[in-house]
Amino acid sequence: MTVLKTSMRNFLAHKGRMALSAVAVLLSVAFVCGTLVFTDTMGTTFDKLFAATASDVTVSSKDAAEGGETTAGNGKPPVIPASVVDEVKRADGVRAAEGAVFSTAVTVVDGDRDNLSPTNGGPTIVGSWNTNDARTMDITSGAAPKGAGQIMLDADTAEKHDLGVGDGLSVITALGTHTAKISGIADFTVTNPGAAIFFLDTPTAQKVLVGEDGVYTDVNVTAAEGVTDEQLKQNVLAELGGGYKVLTAKEAAEANQKDVEGFMNVMKYAMLGFAGIAFLVGIFLIINTFSMLVAQRTREIGLMRAIGSSRRQVNRSVLVEALLLGVVGSVLGVGAGVGLAVGLMKLMGLMGMELSTGDLTVAWTTPALGLLLGVVVTVLAAYLPARRAGKISPMAALRDAGTPADGRTGWVRAVTGLVLTGGGAAALYLAGAAEKATDGSMWLGLGIVLTLIGFVVIGPVLASGVVRVLGAVLLRAFGPVGRMAERNALRNPRRTGATGAALMIGLALVACLSVVGSSMVASAGEELDKTVGTDFIVQHDGGQGITPQAVAAVKATEGLDRVTEYKWTKADFTTPDGKTSDDTAITAADPTYATDMRIETVQGKLADAYRPDSMSVHEDFAKDHDVTLGSTVDVAFEDGRTATLTVRAVTSSEGAIDAGAMYTSIDTLARYVPADRMPLTLMVLASAEDGQKDAAYAALKQSMDRFPQYEVRDQTDYKEALKDQIGQLLNMIYGLLALAIIVAILGVVNTLALSVVERTREIGLMRAIGLSRRQLRRMIRMESVVIALFGALLGLGLGLGWGATAQQLLALEGLKVLDIPWPTIAGVFAGSAFVGLFAALVPAFRAGRMNVLNAIATE
Amino acid sequence: MTSAVTITRHGGTGGTTAVAARARQVVKAYGSGETRVVALDHVDVDIARGRFTAIMGPSGSGKSTLMHCLAGLDTVTSGQIYLDETEITGLKDKKLTRLRRDRIGFIFQAFNLLPTLNALENITLPMDIAGRKPDKAWLDRVVETVGLAERLKHRPTQLSGGQQQRVAVARALAARPEIIFGDEPTGNLDSRAGAEVLGFLRRSVDELGQTIVMVTHDPVAASYADRVLYLADGRIVDEMHQPTAEQVLDRMKDFDARGRTS
Repeated sequence: MTVLKTSMRNFLAHKGRMALSAVAVLLSVAFVCGTLVFTDTMGTTFDKLFAATASDVTVSSKDAAEGGETTAGNGKPPVIPASVVDEVKRADGVRAAEGAVFSTAVTVVDGDRDNLSPTNGGPTIVGSWNTNDARTMDITSGAAPKGAGQIMLDADTAEKHDLGVGDGLSVITALGTHTAKISGIADFTVTNPGAAIFFLDTPTAQKVLVGEDGVYTDVNVTAAEGVTDEQLKQNVLAELGGGYKVLTAKEAAEANQKDVEGFMNVMKYAMLGFAGIAFLVGIFLIINTFSMLVAQRTREIGLMRAIGSSRRQVNRSVLVEALLLGVVGSVLGVGAGVGLAVGLMKLMGLMGMELSTGDLTVAWTTPALGLLLGVVVTVLAAYLPARRAGKISPMAALRDAGTPADGRTGWVRAVTGLVLTGGGAAALYLAGAAEKATDGSMWLGLGIVLTLIGFVVIGPVLASGVVRVLGAVLLRAFGPVGRMAERNALRNPRRTGATGAALMIGLALVACLSVVGSSMVASAGEELDKTVGTDFIVQHDGGQGITPQAVAAVKATEGLDRVTEYKWTKADFTTPDGKTSDDTAITAADPTYATDMRIETVQGKLADAYRPDSMSVHEDFAKDHDVTLGSTVDVAFEDGRTATLTVRAVTSSEGAIDAGAMYTSIDTLARYVPADRMPLTLMVLASAEDGQKDAAYAALKQSMDRFPQYEVRDQTDYKEALKDQIGQLLNMIYGLLALAIIVAILGVVNTLALSVVERTREIGLMRAIGLSRRQLRRMIRMESVVIALFGALLGLGLGLGWGATAQQLLALEGLKVLDIPWPTIAGVFAGSAFVGLFAALVPAFRAGRMNVLNAIATE
Repeated sequence: MTSAVTITRHGGTGGTTAVAARARQVVKAYGSGETRVVALDHVDVDIARGRFTAIMGPSGSGKSTLMHCLAGLDTVTSGQIYLDETEITGLKDKKLTRLRRDRIGFIFQAFNLLPTLNALENITLPMDIAGRKPDKAWLDRVVETVGLAERLKHRPTQLSGGQQQRVAVARALAARPEIIFGDEPTGNLDSRAGAEVLGFLRRSVDELGQTIVMVTHDPVAASYADRVLYLADGRIVDEMHQPTAEQVLDRMKDFDARGRTS
């Protein structure tokens, strides 16, 4: 009971000193809870959407993917004959059945030819306006589309692009371009997270999306009163036989969810991973806080021991304080987490993904997990300082009051740290030298963990050396104030080490990822320079095919020497060894591809693979299946017949572009796949006539102006796009790492604030003998900068090591060039100095405000 | 005891008048209304240059407050305090800090030294802060006089209590302040170490011409001074020149007796 009482009083007495630790716990817990609430809410939104939009039973083609959003390689959705509607109507328990057509292989542009597709990765859907849609959407202005000239769209898209009734839109599909005027705008009754949806009347939809009358992509079936969806499905199946895919509303929703679940899980676990890093950093902060509180309370604890408290009681009283801290931080964190989730939803809203706070989902597990994590982590982190408190001897009460003894770094620590770091370095070396990526990544993981722990352990030992060097370089210019700042940073290496280590973790990850990212850009650039012999690349960034009309437009462009089409289709290979490999694909291109891409071969020439009934295989496949030049492979094309092709080239498995591709010519493909099933061209490569490059690029852009859904790039733009893509990804990761860095900054603030309190008398003395406020503040700022730079130096060093090792390892996968982004590294280092300045703001201000008399009077 | 000759030249900024510091009608009060406590009640005092002045008085008499006010560490409620010809009452923190740095030296009861700096660095700290170069010859003389030449590279924790206080005295002297204030400088020392420090303060007055004001409750310490001021209830009630320890003790007993009977 007394233990609890003293803990409680201590906790309350030092609530200011606890505040920053509580914020660290709060932030980490908030991030965990925020992530969970956010992803759960997204889940709820999709659940509601899918549940609302699915009809009782949906009949679609056997070829349709689960969830129905599918398009064959030829750019058209799989269809079923209109007669199915009547067949379904004959089934028992059917109240209504209606044919519908929709496709996602579409691009819709407005009158200014601006693409209306969502920028958030959501789909663009064009479909027929059916009773089923009318059930979940309200027409808010205008009317449903009637006739070929009318189109209706969803309210969010209309608002985003400032469109109203009467504006003209063009729907572009593989079949051509269809232009219509907006007849109305419809709003979902549930939240639409971000799809752009357009409606045509059914005959127009059939014509525009499929190119033929009398077919549908789906039949929406409504059950009669008292008939369950499951019964209805059985009845429909009985009537239709097995030739169709029949799903109940529930099944359809589940299939749809599976689609988004993958994406949501990636997001969820990535964010939880970053929350984990923040927790790790928070642990340092908590350890430091409790170590300092225990040190400052040495006399008090000594007294408790002297009057008869047992070690366990002292130990426990510190742990109980940690428990209180954990509970307070976590409870606030759970609340903040919900706020964070709402903030994230708003942010997603700005990026075009609409989520409604009405759907906010807080599962009971979320606060439970948040509390558990927060409390357990806090108490665990406080365990070491608590043990140290228990070891304080009763003699401490009798000793002269003074500043707590300055911590020393021990041999044990140095040796342990060296062994761990050395082990980690060895593991990293093995990772770099690994022959196989799987072995290598295991070594890399081990190396990262070991070097990280090693650096954390050895940090205090390194602190004295590194701080001295930093002091010599940076602080000497500031005379005695600089010298005192340096000494202060050095006086407790364990504290400096732990504070720096917290910053180190975040910055190491930043450095590592920046090295990997820029190596990716550099490697891809080099690979492109080495391999690509073509000038221009035309493709759809979403991976949709290029329509024959667009290909024709490229071909018609003046100043082009050659144009190469590039297609891709699934195919099963049966090799002479009798094995059939499914889940394989073949790349079909024009023979000029061999000129456009300098693909290395180990046997034969790639150009020969483009002769009739010929193909190439890649090295690994050739090895696995004993295929050499002249072997024949049976290739069963999806959507087509089986061909027997002769292997005329074996491509090298080196090289990152088209890794593992098997090539054949489009002409060969065309012999075995009927014209209407022919996959769309995925990429068009074009090369200018000699000396015509600039003119041809302009002309090509001009002729592709009618097809805004496709990107036309020359090599420079292509590299730039690649760089942007990687840059965006990195920025997102940096954004998430910012959380860990913020917690680390709190750690620096905390260390300084507690140090200032601890050095009250010193500060008073210095002020009394004439140190000005300005000098005092500068001294604290410089100490802070040195600590921050120490952390940065360690972190960047560690990160560069990790990054270089990762590149070595990924060289096996084509990441051949190591590119260290020195400007980024230098920027992070300089930024850390600012972090130090920033962290010192409040502690320095408070030190400056200290009353000299009180300070020197402090016992 | 002190010759007038040694008074002429000392202190980094050089004082010229015979009075190093003076207080005029100084009042220091805490709180207001019912809870108002007057620590200093219209105190007038002149601190003679080149002399060793002790301020004595029972606990709560206001002796420490008076010293803090004279030294520019504390503000007064009313009245004026002058350091040489400079009025320090009403000065802003910046100017006060500079004044303390350049013209005043301090010796506290305990915790006089920065643990991160060695003895020499502690001694030169006020000048380092000011960005001034210490006068080498003077520094050597001071160091020699305090007998610390062998221990200049030691950290405070490696020094005894007496040695630490001698370093503090050396620090106070090294910058040649116009005046040194000591707040029970021997309060934490045993009698031998205390005598060492006091003897040294005495010599710095005699040989170096230093002005020293020291707050103490120890009659033996006070006996090293040229003049003892007695404070009671915030007022100067008596003074004594060239005191001996016995005289001081008697006077103190007298105060105690009066305090009990009144």
